[in-house]
Amino acid sequence: MSYRARTRIVPWLFLLPALVWYFIFLVYPMAYSFVISLTDWDGLSRTSNWVGFANYINIVFNDEVSRLALRNNVIWTVGTLLIPTILGLVLAVLLDQKLFGRTMFRTIIYSPAVLPLVAVGLIWAWMYNPQFGFINEVLKAIGLGHLARGWLSTFETALPATFVTAIWTGVGFSMTVYLAALQGIPAEQYEAARIDGATGLRLFWHITLPWLREAHVIVLSLAVISSFKVFDLIYTMTYGGPGRSTQVMGTWMYFNAFQYYHAGYGSAIAWVIAIITLTVAVPYIRHMSRD
Amino acid sequence: MRTEKYLRLSSLFALTVLLTACVGVPAAPPAQAPAQQPAEQPAAPATSEKIKLRIASIWDAQAMENVQPVLDEYMKLNPNIEIVVENTAGSGAAIYPDILKTNIASGNPPDAFFMWGGEIAGPFIEAGQVADLTAYYAKYGWDKKYSPWTLDRITRNGKKYGVPWTARGMGFWYNKENFAKWGVEVPNTFAEQEALCAKLKAQNVYCVSIGGKFGWHTMRVLDYFLEHHCGPEKHDQLNALQIPWTDPCVVESYRTFQKWIDNGWVVPDFLTVEPNESRFPFFKGEAALVLEGDWYEGVLKNNEQDNTKYGFYIPPTDHTPLRFSTFPEQFMITKDSKYPDETAAFLDWFTSVETAKKYPKVFASSATLGTNPDCSEWPLTCAMREKILAAQSTYPPTDQAFRKELMDGFFEVQDSIVAKKITPEEGAKLMQQRVEEWKAKNKKS
Repeated sequence: MSYRARTRIVPWLFLLPALVWYFIFLVYPMAYSFVISLTDWDGLSRTSNWVGFANYINIVFNDEVSRLALRNNVIWTVGTLLIPTILGLVLAVLLDQKLFGRTMFRTIIYSPAVLPLVAVGLIWAWMYNPQFGFINEVLKAIGLGHLARGWLSTFETALPATFVTAIWTGVGFSMTVYLAALQGIPAEQYEAARIDGATGLRLFWHITLPWLREAHVIVLSLAVISSFKVFDLIYTMTYGGPGRSTQVMGTWMYFNAFQYYHAGYGSAIAWVIAIITLTVAVPYIRHMSRD
Repeated sequence: MRTEKYLRLSSLFALTVLLTACVGVPAAPPAQAPAQQPAEQPAAPATSEKIKLRIASIWDAQAMENVQPVLDEYMKLNPNIEIVVENTAGSGAAIYPDILKTNIASGNPPDAFFMWGGEIAGPFIEAGQVADLTAYYAKYGWDKKYSPWTLDRITRNGKKYGVPWTARGMGFWYNKENFAKWGVEVPNTFAEQEALCAKLKAQNVYCVSIGGKFGWHTMRVLDYFLEHHCGPEKHDQLNALQIPWTDPCVVESYRTFQKWIDNGWVVPDFLTVEPNESRFPFFKGEAALVLEGDWYEGVLKNNEQDNTKYGFYIPPTDHTPLRFSTFPEQFMITKDSKYPDETAAFLDWFTSVETAKKYPKVFASSATLGTNPDCSEWPLTCAMREKILAAQSTYPPTDQAFRKELMDGFFEVQDSIVAKKITPEEGAKLMQQRVEEWKAKNKKS
């Protein structure tokens, strides 16, 4: 084999094991699910009918639960972009100071992020239990008994209550990313700014925030991606209820594909989720790769 | 040299993965219609070979403790058979069918699986994934072996696809000591039932405890109201979608449910409470009733409750015959089972009178005629079983009358009624809308 041919082939041969793995366990199932999304397959029968893009048209124009689920996902995303992100940033700035016990606080705040979401959902569902739940019991104990209610059983509070759990699990991750980024800011930057007379908030706005640009990209992009993938917490805490008030795209995909015997329709919902997520993920990956 | 060695190894690895994946492609891809049904069953291997029968079920750890000795005995009697149970415990009909469906669609189905009757089993039959057991019914005389109404409920298009193994029925369970303490008695009419609830409320006791997560626990109470307000004939017609859900009796049923909520007769904020958690207010004496089935005596014992202190009654409907909610459970044999004959032989033995007599704990609710639980140990189960088998007529829980998709429409309306997001009239209209949407979506092309 000539040298030129070898230099062309060798890199591909190095990539081959990973490519084969990637093709079989990611590309092929994805492509296959797209084919299923163009059929009316029930997920169980040996036959199906080709329906073209009818499933996609129904999701967008005819399915009111899809629209409700999408609205819930958007609310969830906006909430995730604001609350855990800002909270994570504030905590990171606080715990970046030389405080007593800061390692312990960092560990405590980050620890929910490593717990399985199913376990988290079940624990919080118990905490929200209207009869014996920790939250209502605490409210009663501190004289706020009038606020005690069925947090997950009320249409208006079910989604926000579930979101509180998401904040609890999510804030640790954004705090950790920001902490890592904060520690990368050169001390000279602050010293120079102080010499110029900058203090407090001015330092934060003109030194800290600009230096956290990369961290913002990571935290915000992953927040959007995880918001559209949300499933575990809704499934374990409310099962999409009461009524259908907490349905999100992930659970609605699951209900259709696995419970209603509409695997084709469920696959189409999965692709809608994927498309929305990719519109955020692709620029994010490009940005990260470029840098 | 090291590079070449790596390349050789990596190429070999990639080839192996590729070949393995090609061999392991799922057996049931969604081929385009029309397609042929699978050919004949593959021939069973020679009997000298050890046969592994896989049974999918919902038995929890406690149930398995009782079931395993039964299976062990069968394996001892048939040394060439190994029975492996694959369980999905905990969620009732909410999750188990999904897991089972995935199992079957992946091309690796169990030989037999537990299933409820009615529409929960429907998709498996319509998808052609379960075997028609007509030949086995003739061979083993199953038509005369099981309770007739259980056979009716598992019959579809004139064919039988399952072997009934339990006959379940539901009623209001109560604590007799608490009833005496509160000065209330078992009601005989619907008016007396409501008077009982009012009297309990006056003593700060809830009448009924419900766990509304998944919807089916709440549904049992609504089913009761539908039976009372609509009567047996209309209730059956509603379940069969033969009359519209805008019928005044449906509105009245929703109105009654809202009244029970408004009057504080139901433990509040129950919509996303786990069904199992509904028992806590009941055990603590904060609620007087739970609408549960013949299995509840086992629940009482497992929760260290003294079962002799409890009783049950059939909710009064003011109709004759007095119908109550019943359902069968069955085992179905998958069409792709490699061992349908061996599976049928096992199910015949498993549901026999002799096996039931030897293992009364497992077969307390058996659908097999001539079996009875140990009444000294299981007095309530025994008493309820008498009613279940003697019933002239019963009604199915709505989640066995409707497909899951339509059922979720029913649950959506039910929750909205409970939360007073809609009026009873709006609820009836919304339910009918869900019925029409479901019919349109599921019209077979």
